[in-house]
Amino acid sequence: MSAAVGARRQLPPWLRNNAGLAGVLALIGAVSVAGAVASDRFLSFNNFLNVFEQTTDLALVSIGQTLTILSGGIDLSVGSLISLTSCLTSGLINNNPDRVMGVVIAVLALGILVGFINAGLVVALRVHPLIVTLGMGAALQGVTLLYTLGPVGRVPRGFNFLAYGRVDGLPFGAVIAVLLCVLIALLLRYLPLGRQIYALGDDASSARLVGLRRTRILMLVYGASGFCCAATGLYLVARFGVGQPYTGVNYTLASITPVVLGGTLLSGGKGGVIGTLLGAFLIALLNNLLNFMDVSKHYQLVAQAVIIILAVSVYVERRRTV
Amino acid sequence: MLRLAGISKSFPGVRALAGVSLEIRPGEIHGLIGENGAGKSTLIKIIAGAYAPDEGEMTFADAPARWSSPREAKQHGVHVVYQEFALFPQLSVAENIFVGHERRNRFGMVDHGRTRREAGELLRKLGASLDVDAMVSSLSVADQQMVEIARAMVHNVKLLVLDEPTAVIAGREVALLFELLRRLRESGVSVLFISHRLDEVFAICDRVTVLKDGRLVGTGGIADVTRERLISMMVGRDLGDLFPPRAATARGEAVLRTEALSVGERVRDISIEVRAGEIVALAGMVGAGRSDLALGLFGAMPISSGAIYLCGRRVPSMAPARAIRLGMGLVTEDRKSQGLAMQLDIAANISAPVLPEVTRRGLIDRRLESDIAAQQIERYRIACHGPATNVATMSGGNQQKVIIARWARICRSVLILDEPTRGIDVGAKAEIYRIMRDLAASGVAILMISSELTEVIGMADRVIVMREGRVTGELAGHEIAEESIMQLATSERAA
Repeated sequence: MSAAVGARRQLPPWLRNNAGLAGVLALIGAVSVAGAVASDRFLSFNNFLNVFEQTTDLALVSIGQTLTILSGGIDLSVGSLISLTSCLTSGLINNNPDRVMGVVIAVLALGILVGFINAGLVVALRVHPLIVTLGMGAALQGVTLLYTLGPVGRVPRGFNFLAYGRVDGLPFGAVIAVLLCVLIALLLRYLPLGRQIYALGDDASSARLVGLRRTRILMLVYGASGFCCAATGLYLVARFGVGQPYTGVNYTLASITPVVLGGTLLSGGKGGVIGTLLGAFLIALLNNLLNFMDVSKHYQLVAQAVIIILAVSVYVERRRTV
Repeated sequence: MLRLAGISKSFPGVRALAGVSLEIRPGEIHGLIGENGAGKSTLIKIIAGAYAPDEGEMTFADAPARWSSPREAKQHGVHVVYQEFALFPQLSVAENIFVGHERRNRFGMVDHGRTRREAGELLRKLGASLDVDAMVSSLSVADQQMVEIARAMVHNVKLLVLDEPTAVIAGREVALLFELLRRLRESGVSVLFISHRLDEVFAICDRVTVLKDGRLVGTGGIADVTRERLISMMVGRDLGDLFPPRAATARGEAVLRTEALSVGERVRDISIEVRAGEIVALAGMVGAGRSDLALGLFGAMPISSGAIYLCGRRVPSMAPARAIRLGMGLVTEDRKSQGLAMQLDIAANISAPVLPEVTRRGLIDRRLESDIAAQQIERYRIACHGPATNVATMSGGNQQKVIIARWARICRSVLILDEPTRGIDVGAKAEIYRIMRDLAASGVAILMISSELTEVIGMADRVIVMREGRVTGELAGHEIAEESIMQLATSERAA
């Protein structure tokens, strides 16, 4: 494929990977304006903090999903992993404050381990990540149901600080999500493996020919996704006070939406986690607006669908062939 | 530097290399020539560590080399620039050059300043002036090639393999590349230069090796061979046997005609005509827009302006389904991704464009489909186990015959063939040429896109040359020659 003749002016590299940001920021602006018209309470600082807080779970899981999509894959095991980690968290802690630290660390490690297994299977069996993680998702859901068929265990009262706590007035969980996002954004930019995630997602066969180590890149990517799922699981336990075997089921597909809204290409190689964070915020903001307008939950889903399809159709570079 | 002894490699259905031996000396530019399908690509993939040979020994810098991956070959100093570049279009020039070997600061993190600075220095050393921040997708092909070569320089390259580097660049760019290769040679780097342009081989190479049908034909110093000798080594027979004689019949009326046709973003102002019974070749460099024009004529790429006339009547809007109804056919450049349904059998592939013909009461009549395929198999001597043969298991030449058989049967007006003999052996080539000649004799207008000059010269009644999306000239009869075609295909536009 030959390139277009005549160099277009280039965006600086750090901005280039976040070109989708303009789109999602514009949408956030549009929803905010609509909200201001709909209700005078919408544009208040407190309401934005609320929305920010409600973004946490989706942001956490989507940040990990961004990495797998950037690398040219996808992780469909996230929902089940969230369910499993949340059940294990409350089941193992079982209201014993002494166990909190150990279980939290163990659960996060389990998330990373599941990610490593996903990556290992993708590499060893040469099966597309879509299939491997779909299978992993089913297996993990099965394991979860073997462990418990209903809400299990309890967490000490203080555990809910993760979901409801405020630090200097800011929601603790959401701040953690933002810090994690910034950390990963920096790693994507400054870690050699981070750069290679983009290269692998951009062109896998070129990546092989220049000798990139796919195994390492995928371990990092799926490990990070697993970690993010475990973090989401912990957060959901903090929010509900108990782990439930189907608590994560909706997150598998939901986690893809903020990624796409944030301007990351579904085919990989372009995008970033900051866009994803804003994408998650946009969805929470939209739901919040519809709540203000007394629109039912069901219509919220329809509204989400419309926004996603419209947004993506704007991002898409038009292909020349019919 | 590099020594290959008795290298063989087979793929399902094809023996790509059979006992090839080759020696590349330190600091020489070694030409590797052969027709498409001769095994050049397979050989360099083995040298690059992308394929493991089935048999044979490879030694590099006096040590046995059994590379399990391109990474390993690279660590030893072997760098390959493939014809399809291994670049990342969405990364910048600097990022592409250092990918996998990112410049780091003392914390192990990517040092963006250093990356850009060193990329700039490398490119300056190569004599290229490129914006290191430019995204690779925005570069010209020649500049992309420069990025690939710069990448080789990052490592201590000892052997640089260039797979048909001049297939995509022209004129001044070729001169610059040769200048660069000579400087590399002086610094002791060996170069393996793959090409099928003999002029270039004579201009730059010290020695040359010829491959044909996966076998070594011979190696020799460039001073010891003649052009004619190399051609007969490559083709393995006289060109006269390969191409059927031209029919002496008078040409008919114009079947296909375009008026100031522009297709997509690149093809501009094309006014051509192809008459019944005529074979017109569309020559030019890769990327000249010939394939886009073919897709546009067939309605598979949007036409931005201009008009297409078929048998004197304007076709208001072209689409593949309409083109097929009007008796047109298109044999695309890439038979695997754009021609055949690789997982289906011959019968299904042949009936694909005309399913209603084999449909009875809403269901596909497999027997009828199979009968049609059997006729075509016999007629075009397709080697297979009958109509139910899965095309993925067939050789390239026979796959190509399946596509041509598909269109030859239903094509009444115009048949467009894009690189009809790419990657197939000489025997199959000769048969495809004969089929094309027969079709023309039956009154079909044939438009053939080809980058192989011998093929253009051997087949075409008329040659239309394109460059950068425009027609730069037309040649007929005795004007058709390698030099005149290349001049039109590459020369800077006349003022």
